[in-house]
Amino acid sequence: MQVTLAGHLFSFLPERALYKHDESLLVIADVHLGKASHFRKHGISIPATSQAEDYTKLRKLLDKTKPEKVYFLGDLFHSSLNSDWHAFAALVESYPGLCFTLIKGNHDIIDYKFFDKLCIDVSDKALTEGPFIYSHEPLQPTGNDKLNIAGHIHPGILLRGMGKQSLRLPCFHLSGNTLLLPAFGTLTGLYMMDMDQHNKVYAVLPGEVKKLN
Amino acid sequence: MKAGHTIAQDWFRSKDWQPHEFQEKCWDAIGKGYSGLLNAPTGYGKTYALWFGILQDYLNKKKQPPGLHCLWITPLRALSKEILNATQRVSADLGANYTIGMRTGDTSVKERTQQKKNMPHALITTPESVHLLLAQKGYESMFKNLQFVVVDEWHELLGNKRGVLIELALSRLKAINPKLKVWGISATIGNLEEAKDILLGSDDVKQTLVRAKIEKKIVVETFLPDVIEKYPWAGHLGITMLPKVLDVIHKSSSTLIFTNTRSQCEIWYQRLLQEDPSLAGIIALHHGSLSEEIRQWVENALHNGTLKAVVCTSSLDLGVDFRPVDTVIQIGSAKGVARFMQRAGRSGHQPGATSTIHFLPTHSLEIIEGSALRHAIKHNEIEQRIPYIRSFDVLIQYLVTLAISEGFFPDKIYEEVIKTHCYSSITREEFNWCLDFITQGGKMLDAYDEFHKVVIENGLYKVTSRRVAMRHRLGIGVIVSDSMLQVKFLGGTRLGLVEEYFVSRLKPGDVFSFAGRMVEFVRIKEMTVYVRKSTKSKGYSVSWQGGRMPLSSQLSKTIRYKLDEYYNKGHRDIELQKLERLFDEQQRRSHLPHKTELLIEKVKTREGYHVFIYPFEGRNVHEGLSALFAYRIAQVHPMSFSLAFNDYGFELLSDQEIPIEEALGNDLLDNLNLADDIQKSVNISEMAKRKFRDIASIAGLVFTGYPGKQVKTRHVQANSQLFFSVFEEHEKDNLLLRQAYDEVFTFQMEQMRMYEALERMQHQNVIIQYLEQLSPFCFPILTERFRDKLSNEKLEDRIEKMIKQLEQ
Repeated sequence: MQVTLAGHLFSFLPERALYKHDESLLVIADVHLGKASHFRKHGISIPATSQAEDYTKLRKLLDKTKPEKVYFLGDLFHSSLNSDWHAFAALVESYPGLCFTLIKGNHDIIDYKFFDKLCIDVSDKALTEGPFIYSHEPLQPTGNDKLNIAGHIHPGILLRGMGKQSLRLPCFHLSGNTLLLPAFGTLTGLYMMDMDQHNKVYAVLPGEVKKLN
Repeated sequence: MKAGHTIAQDWFRSKDWQPHEFQEKCWDAIGKGYSGLLNAPTGYGKTYALWFGILQDYLNKKKQPPGLHCLWITPLRALSKEILNATQRVSADLGANYTIGMRTGDTSVKERTQQKKNMPHALITTPESVHLLLAQKGYESMFKNLQFVVVDEWHELLGNKRGVLIELALSRLKAINPKLKVWGISATIGNLEEAKDILLGSDDVKQTLVRAKIEKKIVVETFLPDVIEKYPWAGHLGITMLPKVLDVIHKSSSTLIFTNTRSQCEIWYQRLLQEDPSLAGIIALHHGSLSEEIRQWVENALHNGTLKAVVCTSSLDLGVDFRPVDTVIQIGSAKGVARFMQRAGRSGHQPGATSTIHFLPTHSLEIIEGSALRHAIKHNEIEQRIPYIRSFDVLIQYLVTLAISEGFFPDKIYEEVIKTHCYSSITREEFNWCLDFITQGGKMLDAYDEFHKVVIENGLYKVTSRRVAMRHRLGIGVIVSDSMLQVKFLGGTRLGLVEEYFVSRLKPGDVFSFAGRMVEFVRIKEMTVYVRKSTKSKGYSVSWQGGRMPLSSQLSKTIRYKLDEYYNKGHRDIELQKLERLFDEQQRRSHLPHKTELLIEKVKTREGYHVFIYPFEGRNVHEGLSALFAYRIAQVHPMSFSLAFNDYGFELLSDQEIPIEEALGNDLLDNLNLADDIQKSVNISEMAKRKFRDIASIAGLVFTGYPGKQVKTRHVQANSQLFFSVFEEHEKDNLLLRQAYDEVFTFQMEQMRMYEALERMQHQNVIIQYLEQLSPFCFPILTERFRDKLSNEKLEDRIEKMIKQLEQ
């Protein structure tokens, strides 16, 4: 669904990503690549098919939106360098015209040299561009009237229905000057957010994003 | 043979005792070279019934071979100690040169080395320690002259994997000495003959079953509330009757109060003290998560008669008799007849004495259980113990055990293990799979050296790595404990164990009650929780996870029978008289089902549309049935359900009208495709994953850590779960994976019972009641907090409905 934020047109994509139309910018948070390999490295043998889905999802999304640049809002890789890097490198190299930027998160401990080789910009700090600040962790307080677009939290929302029905869905969560993006990765959990008159919640459904309040 | 009687009879005469008939029968049978099973209650000299036969066998021999003559296996260290004292006394009294030693997890290294050099004639030990002996070099010569194996409390071991350890050990010992005689001692269970056959094996040996015809008199008294509420909710009633409990405590010299969970135990201890502070110092608590020191102290104090009451859990079900205990109280449903009788038997030990047990129902419907238990005890309707079969995890552990000590040749061991009940149905291919598993890590783990534990040298399977051997020894046994953290005072005194997940919610300064005191959480360091004393009177209650026991089939059958007595206007038990008002109310608002009827209630509330069904089959079966019914109903029309259940019935709740009438006409109760429908309805794989955790640990797939340096279980769990997913995805026929599913079907879903329940329900008259008000029966189910879910509606549709509701 399309939303105008600070005068700019954005799309909340059901692939759990944000698209900024005027710049053709795709923003993705918390991919957590290599999480399965990370487990494997600690003595556990796991063929990670679930992880493969993330790459397919990512490729599909890039092919569909055809962005000019991509921002990863941190936690791109779950931990240290492992075999997953090759899969990631292959993906990046198959989109030669695309500018990738990683805004570092708490899990990103891979040396920037590796990113350098793939021509991925790495930013240790939040990125301020016009009325927007892109960061991994939400900034507190935002300090000015700029809109902070952040990841890290893995926001989710709990829906309740008759007959004790309940569902947990990932969501985009806009509260004050902070917009939280849902985590992109499959192997990630959800942190349940509040929904009230002070915030706006956009639930990610299969195939669409829906405003809840 | 008469010589055999002489020693025993001399000794009995010297004590001025008269042997029981069953004792003489046993001496006689042992003298004639029989193996057998003795069925006798505790407190009547069952130990001596076997011991003198064994002793006589030794003394009768002209040439007495050196080395181990008898192995006496008990399930508990505490029992080992008691047997040791009793038997040593006999040797001393008779001046017999027959030495007795003990070998358990507590035995010091020094003592063990001594035993290795110079074995006593008899060794009292545990199933795990026997396997540790099998892991020692030279075990074959140690057991060469072994004549007798006695398995004490066989009924306790039979229903779990420790029984499998016994079966395996016996298969080896019998191969070393084909003339080995095996004796078991068992309390009364529903399948005593089967228990005998499993223990003694299918070999062509002389076998006998000796039953002591001694009826221990058990009196059941139910605490009855003064007023019966119409809406029985769980847990509520118990505490309101606390003054009555205090009354009984004060009238008795020493009371054991059994609770069903560790948290309930802690809570009752606190509440009793609050209600009557004069009990301070003479009341204690005892459960499996308290430190060994505390438990030891409580047990000693019980022996010495210095305690007025002890609140405990199943931790005191078994074990040595506490002579001063004259009263037993059971709080809440005992869930089974055998367990209730066992607990009752913890009082009144003097031969001929009556055991009195007071039953305290925790909600009003539970009152009927008092009456049902009395009936079941009177008619000797006691549960069966279902033995484990095809436990590949234990087999794998056993094979590595043998590979550590002497090594083994597969052909020989295969012949031995298929003679056991547990493995009688395994094929050579399956056995070979196990061999592959310990040598190569099976199909999936071939690439990982750490799973190549066993190597083959000239056909002999053996372990050559010291590290593998050491790790394996630490892991021998089948009891997998939950991940626990030590709780210690800052000064170092150990209090006991709590689960990781409980501590993870605590902040420094938080107060919780544990081991009967209020303590303040200070910090957590290296798997130890440090606390200090607190003066606050309120705090968190520690909770432990762990499945809730379902009502046994015996007890549920008796409850159905007792319900029917409502219609019988003749003599009625006091419990049923008390329940009359509640049943009248049930009858008025709905219906009280006859034995021949299946009651279904339908009601609409603010929450949605409810259907309640009452098979009275125990919560496990109800969990399965609720999912099965929900699944079958949703086949006609897509629906979402929330499911709740207790021991008496279950509930289907939905946001739309549930077409139960239509479903009943559509083979809802059919047994056809049962296994298939269960597979589809219940999240079996989630349940199997939990079972797999223990299996992986027993099979040595995951390592739980060196002593004192425990691997956090969360890690173990992650490990075993990941293994589970790998096998699930790539090696569907993995035997350990299949075993996890089999265990879920047999023990968790109780598939047989579910099948029988459906069979029974098909022949019952279905009574559907449309309620205007909630009935006394449905209320406790409605308030159950733990719920399952099942849905086959499209996600979009469900979200749509929920969003609509948001907008209202």
